[in-house]
Amino acid sequence: MSKPESTVNGKQPAAERIGVYLLSSNEASAVDLRAVAQFASGLASVAVVHTLAPSIQLNPEELAREFSREKLSSIVLAGERPGLHKGAFARALALAGGNGEKLRLASFAERCAAITTEGAKQMVADACAPANGVASVAAPPAAGASTTQPFNPVTLVIGGGVAGIQASLEIAESGNKVYLVERTGTVGGRMAMFDKTFPTLDCAACILTPKMVAVGQNKNIEILVLSEVQEVTGHRGAFKVKILKRATRVDASACVACGDCARFCPTTVSSEFDMGIATRKCVFMPFPQAVPNTYMIDAAHCQWVQSEGKKCGACAKKCAKNAIHLDAQDEMVELEVGNIIVATGYETFDAGRIERYGYGRYPNVLSSLEFERLTNASGPTGGKIVMKTKQLNKKTKQEEWVFQPDNPKPKAIAIVHCVGSRDQNHNSYCSRVCCMYSLKFAHLVREKCPDAICYEYYIDMRAYGKGYEEFFERVHEEGVHIVRGRSAMVEERGSQLCVKGEELVNNRLIELPVDMVLLSVGLQPSPGSGELAGKLGISRDKDGWFRELDYNAEPNCTGRPGIFVAGVCQGPKDIPDTVAQASAAASYVLSSIVAANSRKEPSHGGELSTGVLARS
Amino acid sequence: MAVRINPNLIDDLEHYGAQDVSKCYQCGNCSAACPHSENPYVFPRKSMHQLQTGQEKPLRSSLDPWLCYYCGDCSTQCPRGAEPGETMMSLRRWLTAQYDFTGISRLLYRSWATELAAILIVALLTGAGFFALGIMHGGNIGVYDGENAFLPAHYIHIFDWTMGTTLGLLLLINCIRMWHFTMQSEGAPKVGLFLYLRYLMLLPVHFLTQERFRKCENKKPWALHLWLMLSYLTMLILIMFFLKYVQAGPEINWFAHGFGYLSAFGLVCVSILFLRGRIKKDAAYHRHSHESDWMFLALLIFVSVTGVLQHILHRVGLPMAANITYVVHLMGVVPMLGLEVPFSKWSHLAYRPLAVYFAQLLAAARAEHPVAVAQAAAPAD
Repeated sequence: MSKPESTVNGKQPAAERIGVYLLSSNEASAVDLRAVAQFASGLASVAVVHTLAPSIQLNPEELAREFSREKLSSIVLAGERPGLHKGAFARALALAGGNGEKLRLASFAERCAAITTEGAKQMVADACAPANGVASVAAPPAAGASTTQPFNPVTLVIGGGVAGIQASLEIAESGNKVYLVERTGTVGGRMAMFDKTFPTLDCAACILTPKMVAVGQNKNIEILVLSEVQEVTGHRGAFKVKILKRATRVDASACVACGDCARFCPTTVSSEFDMGIATRKCVFMPFPQAVPNTYMIDAAHCQWVQSEGKKCGACAKKCAKNAIHLDAQDEMVELEVGNIIVATGYETFDAGRIERYGYGRYPNVLSSLEFERLTNASGPTGGKIVMKTKQLNKKTKQEEWVFQPDNPKPKAIAIVHCVGSRDQNHNSYCSRVCCMYSLKFAHLVREKCPDAICYEYYIDMRAYGKGYEEFFERVHEEGVHIVRGRSAMVEERGSQLCVKGEELVNNRLIELPVDMVLLSVGLQPSPGSGELAGKLGISRDKDGWFRELDYNAEPNCTGRPGIFVAGVCQGPKDIPDTVAQASAAASYVLSSIVAANSRKEPSHGGELSTGVLARS
Repeated sequence: MAVRINPNLIDDLEHYGAQDVSKCYQCGNCSAACPHSENPYVFPRKSMHQLQTGQEKPLRSSLDPWLCYYCGDCSTQCPRGAEPGETMMSLRRWLTAQYDFTGISRLLYRSWATELAAILIVALLTGAGFFALGIMHGGNIGVYDGENAFLPAHYIHIFDWTMGTTLGLLLLINCIRMWHFTMQSEGAPKVGLFLYLRYLMLLPVHFLTQERFRKCENKKPWALHLWLMLSYLTMLILIMFFLKYVQAGPEINWFAHGFGYLSAFGLVCVSILFLRGRIKKDAAYHRHSHESDWMFLALLIFVSVTGVLQHILHRVGLPMAANITYVVHLMGVVPMLGLEVPFSKWSHLAYRPLAVYFAQLLAAARAEHPVAVAQAAAPAD
């Protein structure tokens, strides 16, 4: 039985004694386990390191005796497939009277490249690191208490995109409470920006907004917008999370979204939701179907806030409902939850990093999300595909390139694949969805500009899903020219842009003068993923996506019990896969809650069935 | 008829410096980025593909490697790190070995130890031979020029004319083989005599100016190479036709000496600049160096420096030291020319202009009798 060395009200950090168990495998591995064992024994808090022979038969009772003897407070199980022995170890920990949650797994099985010894060492170090106190600051419960410690059935979902929304709804439907924390001013995420989805060409908002409304109306879901996770402590069943809840400065219950405030706001800024192709005021609603459906103040640009009350304040004066409270303050909120689902999504690759495509230099070179906003009915042109033209901004007296609904339509558009993806100079992985969304763009161009020529330049066409190949055929039949051979550059030719590429089938160089170029940029982890991973104590893979516990068998779990991942933050994927993964994450959460509830009647002496503990 | 595949071609090319060819996923970015690539000679992607699939015969009859001047833009932009630029360079080495009927080129490229041994053996033989010559004809090692000179100009001329003719013949035979591989390959159009004559001027023009090289975005490599080549050509003419004016002293024939000093300066400067470039690896085209690249530069620098040194020694009145240095100089010159001209890097002096010439002939012949080719719906061709 492990006792903390010194605790005062359970708040003093317990001196951890970690037992590291390395599982050797039968197959040849690039990992030198002896080197890893040596490395592990040098880590702080590591008390013992054992290397287990492959195909070992583990006896939980023997293990439990060992744990007690060595006074181990937590276990790190590392190897190719640690999940195989998870049950035995968890049972052993429980028999020893310890906390079954204090079992951390480090799986060496990597998705593609074989893991090296250095990689393995890093994984073990990550698993042993206290990482802002997750699972180490909380005092291990006293003997026998672990089975009766209340398991908090409340869940924290970080990220309000379709993954976060789906997971929240699944959990809330079961009657359990969810906190949905979202960094921007509304839930909806990327999907709310899209016009249509592939391959069905369903309207994205038509699918998403009912779910958004359901989230907004569900009594079990509390949405915190403009909020970010600051600190996470505790362990599965008993996490304490500090959230920075930035003030919207608008009382959502009073706001009726009449829009008067925005009419009188003097400050115009670039709209993030529109990816910079349109503007908004400082008091704004991110988009008309936002949930919560309220206006909010952009404190960073608000003249009243920045001048500390000396300037402006027009919106508050004009609001007929007195819903605006410009002096509201940000709050630090502390939440107690039992499980955490990370659903932080992605950002797109910055095409400006590849100069020769002209992004940022030529006004009519757009990246994918910008084009999504252009074709979306809530965008600056009401969904019309037009070119940017130069206009004089009356306020700043500067000439700018803007989208206006009456601008001329493009007569020729080129779509370039793999911008920033499959590229060792940028992101070497394939972003999975770009081929399909590029085809979708081509379809939208043909639909909305039937006289326009549309060319698509690709390296490999990845149309792997249900209905994807048929969608590819359809777009082909719609008269889109699909050319094998990624383009190398975009140049200006008079008033047009010229895309230069090699057409591989005939080994010819082709130049296409176009009016607009769409760059199919890849996906990257959301900004701040690194810090969030650190706060949660989970690790990321070599491309920065959150690392799943086992790529094949447990793609939802992380190395920390009680923390799950859903959606693109674990790896690029399309909407159906995101929704499926979100539901899966919810099922893990609900399962742990049900199991905890059934544990309310403690069975003899703290023994628990492995079936239940396997779900950690 | 189907092309017989050689599955070991990539492994073979590794001896010539091709690395990472397998990484190429045929995106075509390199061909589109290349400033020289233009229809119908679009490269380097196709060469990468032919190499990956082991199409030995089509590669042997390809002119594309000679149309590349290794600016390195393709390699810089390549998303896979497949090094198309260096692959084209390796193909040039491989083609040099293919065109060579003796098999010596292949040996030298595949084994740098063999190349080194060959250089040393030839150098030693040269040294022994010239010492013997000088002594046998009764020359005085303490006399550099005029009566009783150790190595008078007319003896040198016998040697250099013989060597020049021999090397020229060897190279000519290899050029005929190049013509056979490229112009007589399966699928190559018939080129009439009229076309051969019509474009004949391309040969001297490209030989002297390296006009295509100038089309690269960065003009510096072309300029430096032109300087080096003209310096060498000047030196060659001086030595083959005006040696006694360069040797003669103590009066200075300013005409011959002027050109001599200028070209010596060029030779030393550029070869040192090139060496520096290969060591620093700043430019994309200097990141990879095959042993044959180092050997060539080493020989060039050795020959240039000893050439300058022996002249200085002669001018300051140390004839014996000058003579000895001169023999050492010849010990560098003979292997350098003997190996490089027909069998190694220097053969490009013939192959490149020929490639430009042949490319023009083939394109003109095809334009005269166009063959129906399945065209993609490509606009604005």
